[in-house]
Amino acid sequence: MASSRLGISTALRGVRPSSRGQWRPLDQQFQALQLFNDPKSTRCLSTDAGSFEDFLKTQQDQAIQAAPGINLADIVDFRNISYARAVPVSPSYFSRQPRFNDSYLALQKLMQSYGKLPVVSTGEVERVAWKSLVEFRQMVGERVKASDYVKCLEIIKRLHRIHPELKPPIFVEAFQAFKRDIQPFTNKPNPIRIDWVGRALGIGRRKSSVARAYVIEGNGEVLINGKTLADAFGRVHDRESAVWALRATDRLDKYNVWALVAGGGTTGQAEALTLAIAKGLMAHEPALKPALRRAGCVTRDMRRVERKKHGRVKARKMPTWVKR
Amino acid sequence: MSASNCLRCCLLRPSVVGRAGATAATAKASAAATARLRQGMPLAAAAAASFSTTANRGANQKPKPGTKAAERNAPPSIRQGKLFTIKKKKKNDSGARVKSPLPGERKAFRKRILLSNTNALPVPGLTDLGAESMLDPSNVCKVLSLPDDVVDQLRADEAFKTTQCWSMFRKPSILIRTETVDLITRMHAAAKTNKTLRLVLTGDRVTGKSLMLLQAITQAHLNDWLVVNIPDAQELTTACTEYAPILDTEPIQYMQQNYVLKLIQAIKKSNEKLLLKLTTVFSHAGLPQNIPIKSPLMQLANSAKEAEGAWAVFQAMWQEMTAQGHGRPPMLLSLDGLTHIMRISDYRTPAFNPIHSHDLALVRLFTDHLSGATSLPNGGAVIAATNRNNAPRNPSMELALAQREAEQLGGGKDVPQPQPYLKGYDERVEAVLRNVQVIKLQGLSKLEARALMEYWAASGVLRITVDEKSVTEKWALGGSGVVGEMERASLLTMRF
Repeated sequence: MASSRLGISTALRGVRPSSRGQWRPLDQQFQALQLFNDPKSTRCLSTDAGSFEDFLKTQQDQAIQAAPGINLADIVDFRNISYARAVPVSPSYFSRQPRFNDSYLALQKLMQSYGKLPVVSTGEVERVAWKSLVEFRQMVGERVKASDYVKCLEIIKRLHRIHPELKPPIFVEAFQAFKRDIQPFTNKPNPIRIDWVGRALGIGRRKSSVARAYVIEGNGEVLINGKTLADAFGRVHDRESAVWALRATDRLDKYNVWALVAGGGTTGQAEALTLAIAKGLMAHEPALKPALRRAGCVTRDMRRVERKKHGRVKARKMPTWVKR
Repeated sequence: MSASNCLRCCLLRPSVVGRAGATAATAKASAAATARLRQGMPLAAAAAASFSTTANRGANQKPKPGTKAAERNAPPSIRQGKLFTIKKKKKNDSGARVKSPLPGERKAFRKRILLSNTNALPVPGLTDLGAESMLDPSNVCKVLSLPDDVVDQLRADEAFKTTQCWSMFRKPSILIRTETVDLITRMHAAAKTNKTLRLVLTGDRVTGKSLMLLQAITQAHLNDWLVVNIPDAQELTTACTEYAPILDTEPIQYMQQNYVLKLIQAIKKSNEKLLLKLTTVFSHAGLPQNIPIKSPLMQLANSAKEAEGAWAVFQAMWQEMTAQGHGRPPMLLSLDGLTHIMRISDYRTPAFNPIHSHDLALVRLFTDHLSGATSLPNGGAVIAATNRNNAPRNPSMELALAQREAEQLGGGKDVPQPQPYLKGYDERVEAVLRNVQVIKLQGLSKLEARALMEYWAASGVLRITVDEKSVTEKWALGGSGVVGEMERASLLTMRF
């Protein structure tokens, strides 16, 4: 009960003075101590200095000055009361991590209320990037314990699984503090469209090669930079790599490919084509994605040539050892 | 000296020592030597005994402890650690010597042609080619085998190439393509009207140009034509065979007698039946042998036994084979590797000026017939196939062939024109190819590809189910049905 010893002035430290230079009623002041004044309003704490605009306004109005002492005799409602102290609404006000604890308690409450609602399977849940412990600590400015945070996240994830149609709107607000500011899962690539002649343009990269492949329904003809597959790639292995997306899905006789590929060497070009053709093919038949993923045609191979380092012959190779 | 010689021989072969045939002196010396050997006495000491003994005694003595010699011979001490020594490589005289191949053996191995493989399955229902088979459009997309006697003739003509996959199958067989029927029909039509078909087979790498030529030769043999085949024109122009100027020619021409002798022998072997039947009608002077009129052509061919005089014999043979009005059969004159004779050869005149390929007499004979300057009086065909691997750049030939091809397609505007700033066009080449027919070979159609793959599968070489899917796959991997690439993708890889 450290704050009680310090007295009411400490408890009311953050209360802003009114513009009229007069004190607000005590109950109004106490309201500021509530963690949740109103379930619909934003969170407001005793330490809050109000909105940033108000703060600026105050700054302009008058110079900063120390709050005057409280004269209880002046307060009308408490005129006959000899002793009063400000009691925070939230019991966690006196704990080390009040904001986190409040959120945690609120979530537990939500869990009690809505925990029985039907859930969807994990695969169907909308993917959300939650804050990591470090990020959350930075946001609330409290030393949140890792184990507590994990428990908290468990509840959130469980609540998040509730069927979207039954999810109460209060969840949005409750989860907001735990969501990362940037949600990578909302970044959806633009879907490849099939143009008016039935072509789908897929782009693939590998090493330093870039391939653009127009995939169109046909009978298995492949032209790469205007050359046949055999002319474009001397190695049979490279030819197979280039059309691997079609071969792995048994679609080689169903599509034609007209591709442009530039940069890099033969292997890079062939494997850039794999990716490009796979993307074009997925535009035609999205259901092939799992099969193509199994065939290794979906993921871009990000490896590039490792840079050379000083003191070495190549990236890693050491110079030949000479006795002296 | 003689004693020491004998001594050495006896030491090398101690078994000789006790032989009765050895002379008494030898026996004595050798007995002494072997006795010394048994005693462990060094031979050098014994041999040099009469001269000086000091060095030998020194060598026999053990080095005194503490001297440098003793240190050298002593085993390394433990403290010294391991010393790195480079050992001298020992010569392998354990008896198992590797026999190096005889001269020419490596080349023979490289150039050998295997036409049969007993491990391959015999294909059921495979029929032999007949005289008319390749004329029949219903045979397109069928694989037919070459009759055995024709195989021998083709072998003599060197129509089979090492790069072709004959050695994978039980029996040499060929696929009848649409282009085959086209070519053979043209040959047939020309022979019927006593005209000469002048044609060039062209196309990308491994599209089957040489094989198409082989089909033409096969057809000629099956229909009893005379066949003169130059299997690789490269041999004529890369200065790898001897040449000599022909007297009384202006501009001067050159004969290649060694090559011509080889050619005569090939002609003799492949056209044996015809040459035995046909008889000479002219008398020829200046041959190595007197050939009376009405003797078989074979006798004339046989008269070329040496390179000297081979050119004269070849000229006489050519005169006889193309004699008009004596019931001579049509003739096929074919050449593979046209690019090589459409350039300046690697030969030089005595003044060290380069010789144009068309100044070589044998090449001139071919180009005159190809250009139409001379025709085959009994009808027949002059067919040349271009080559793509190992082919020199030849702008005039490429342009001329592209022009002929465009003209055949009837494109007035699309006929390619020479580039104004490009050097290296050759008028003589253009003149030869001014009005030849051109067949450009491209990839197989899917039906043809399927027929071929079914043949491969039936031979047990291709171990997949041949269906629409697999055919398209190989067809696409082979660059839209380029037959050699299909072969590479399906037969010559170890992956399937």
